[in-house]
Amino acid sequence: MKVLLFLVLFTLIFSCKKKEEQLTIAVGGTPEEIRYWSQIIEEFEKKEGIEVKILRQPADTDLRRHGLAVSLSAKEKDPDVFLMDIAWVGFFIKSGWLEKLRDIDSSPFIEKVLFVDKKGEDLYALPLFVDCGLLYYRKDLLEKYNCSVPSTWEQLLECSLKVQRQERKRDPKFYAFVWQGAQYEGLMCVFLEFSTSAGGSLDDLDSAANLKALSFMRDLIRVYAISPPNTYTEMKEEEVRRFFQAGKALFERNWSYAWILHNMENSPVKGKVGIAPLPAFKGGKRASCLGGWHVGISAFSDKKEEALKLLKFLVSYETQKKLALNLGWNPSRRDVYEDKELLKKFPQIKKIKEACEYAIPRPSVSYYIQMSEVIRPYINAVLAGRLNPLEALTKAQRELNLLERTYR
Amino acid sequence: MKSDKVYLLLYGFPSFFFITLFVLTAVIGTVLLSFSKGFENYARLISDPRFTDSLWFTVKFALVSVPFEITLGLILALIVNEKFRYRGLVRGLILIPWAIPAVVSARMWQLVFNYTYGVLNSLSDGLLGVRINWFGEEHTALLALAIADTWRTAPFVALIILAGLQTLPEEVFKQALVDGAGLFKRFFFVTLPLLKPFILIAVLFRGIDALRVFDLVFVLTGGGPGGSTTPLSLYAYKFYLVGDFGYASALSSVLFVLCLFLSFAVGFLLKGSIRG
Repeated sequence: MKVLLFLVLFTLIFSCKKKEEQLTIAVGGTPEEIRYWSQIIEEFEKKEGIEVKILRQPADTDLRRHGLAVSLSAKEKDPDVFLMDIAWVGFFIKSGWLEKLRDIDSSPFIEKVLFVDKKGEDLYALPLFVDCGLLYYRKDLLEKYNCSVPSTWEQLLECSLKVQRQERKRDPKFYAFVWQGAQYEGLMCVFLEFSTSAGGSLDDLDSAANLKALSFMRDLIRVYAISPPNTYTEMKEEEVRRFFQAGKALFERNWSYAWILHNMENSPVKGKVGIAPLPAFKGGKRASCLGGWHVGISAFSDKKEEALKLLKFLVSYETQKKLALNLGWNPSRRDVYEDKELLKKFPQIKKIKEACEYAIPRPSVSYYIQMSEVIRPYINAVLAGRLNPLEALTKAQRELNLLERTYR
Repeated sequence: MKSDKVYLLLYGFPSFFFITLFVLTAVIGTVLLSFSKGFENYARLISDPRFTDSLWFTVKFALVSVPFEITLGLILALIVNEKFRYRGLVRGLILIPWAIPAVVSARMWQLVFNYTYGVLNSLSDGLLGVRINWFGEEHTALLALAIADTWRTAPFVALIILAGLQTLPEEVFKQALVDGAGLFKRFFFVTLPLLKPFILIAVLFRGIDALRVFDLVFVLTGGGPGGSTTPLSLYAYKFYLVGDFGYASALSSVLFVLCLFLSFAVGFLLKGSIRG
């Protein structure tokens, strides 16, 4: 019955679609990123003589996963090649959606990142770029108010309160610290960072350390009010980036992509921005959520040979260098970090690399996505003031225990 | 009489065939899938607090949005039923919101309710100096969703009720006028009772659609804050996407039963009102 149902549904839905003969790659992101991607793809087309179609995806990470999951669970031939967030690679491998990669030398890639792409000894994907949570700050404002770059959350808070009080006189909509608090995967990253830097972890959710971390997150919005009230409703990467870029914030938690955009010609904060590793709680150790995108080939692709060529082209030294220079994407190959031209044109990459030393991965269980779907609403409910931290963490832990039994 | 039955079968067959193919197969398949592990998925439903929240929110959303939609739809219908210049044009124009895809209109409403750059907040900030975080609390989020849904679907309700208004016998109104009934009395004691079957049909259509709401919530709140605005459809969708088809089907089956229940309830009322 199950098979019949899907057969009927999917033939009905997809029989209306035109047969696709081209190699297809799914990429998403900001408009700037997509624009550059078409340039990269054009180079590949010229080099290999293979025509490639770009399937445009949105900037939102969850929506990109949803889009791919729909095609893949329908065993669609397209897209042949796609980018995956580091958090889903494990789930995609387990679902049998990825083609095993043969004859690929994975030694130039950063070991810390590569582990998600493997199942046992088999390789299913390759990292395309490595990312981690960073603290952006306004150099000019820190200097003006005599603050140093904070290394603890307590310092960040102190400086924020001071600067916000003064800056509000000039701009009543000024908020000292913006970060991703909406109910989506980005919130998991932020929570992971606060939690780890307080000494907690996601394995033991209702710990004292997590309680401290979550209370602090809530207080940033609800007590100290240095983060805007819509942090937990609308703040995703791009909203946060735009807020900071408009000159309305002192600190910003974001990924490395924001750097180039902040320093674009028409950016109000051009040349005024600094990058630092994310702070830790006093006595804790810094933590930065490991992110980034990986590239894989669909197990249902009808163009696997061409797809492999494209994949190899994308992870090559040259392409990685170009992505770094033009999009600020940190290379996933160690050798590119030594590139003289890159270091000269983009000295910031050293700072990013340093911040990424503190990178920690999200839990590597195959049901991580389900786990995240359970935790997110509880964290978000605390930020919204609907639950107190203890209640939320206890309830989430109880649900996680159930989840473990269901999916293990 | 016999030929009537033949025609009934003949004319009914195509729609019966397609409904079986497209609707019944899917519904039966979903229900079977939900029982693929016996009653396990349903046992899980009972112990899942988020299912209860989601079920409750689904009902609440329907209860809040449908009355708004019916009221506004009724008002619109009464207006465009009157004779005035450019009536045809206005009749066409009020249908525009309904012609806009739900996702697109949800994106539009996002620009209205947004905290930082939303039209509504710019207005209230300029006039009163306050900003409302519409999606920050459950009740304001629910209200925002209901407003957006009403804007889009009131024209549909207006269409049904307008059709009803045009079938109403004019003599009754003339009689009421002769009897000296005022505008208010004419509306509540003549128009409204006569329109009851049409309003009930609108309630049925809108009620089922409101119970199944997805696109609007997906775009506007994403289920937040703290998962408080997650309708059943959105909750089920999350399980479909991670391949947990059994549980997702159980959730969908509950939604199906809810819609079925509403249809029966309205059907019962409709029968009564037509006989009466």
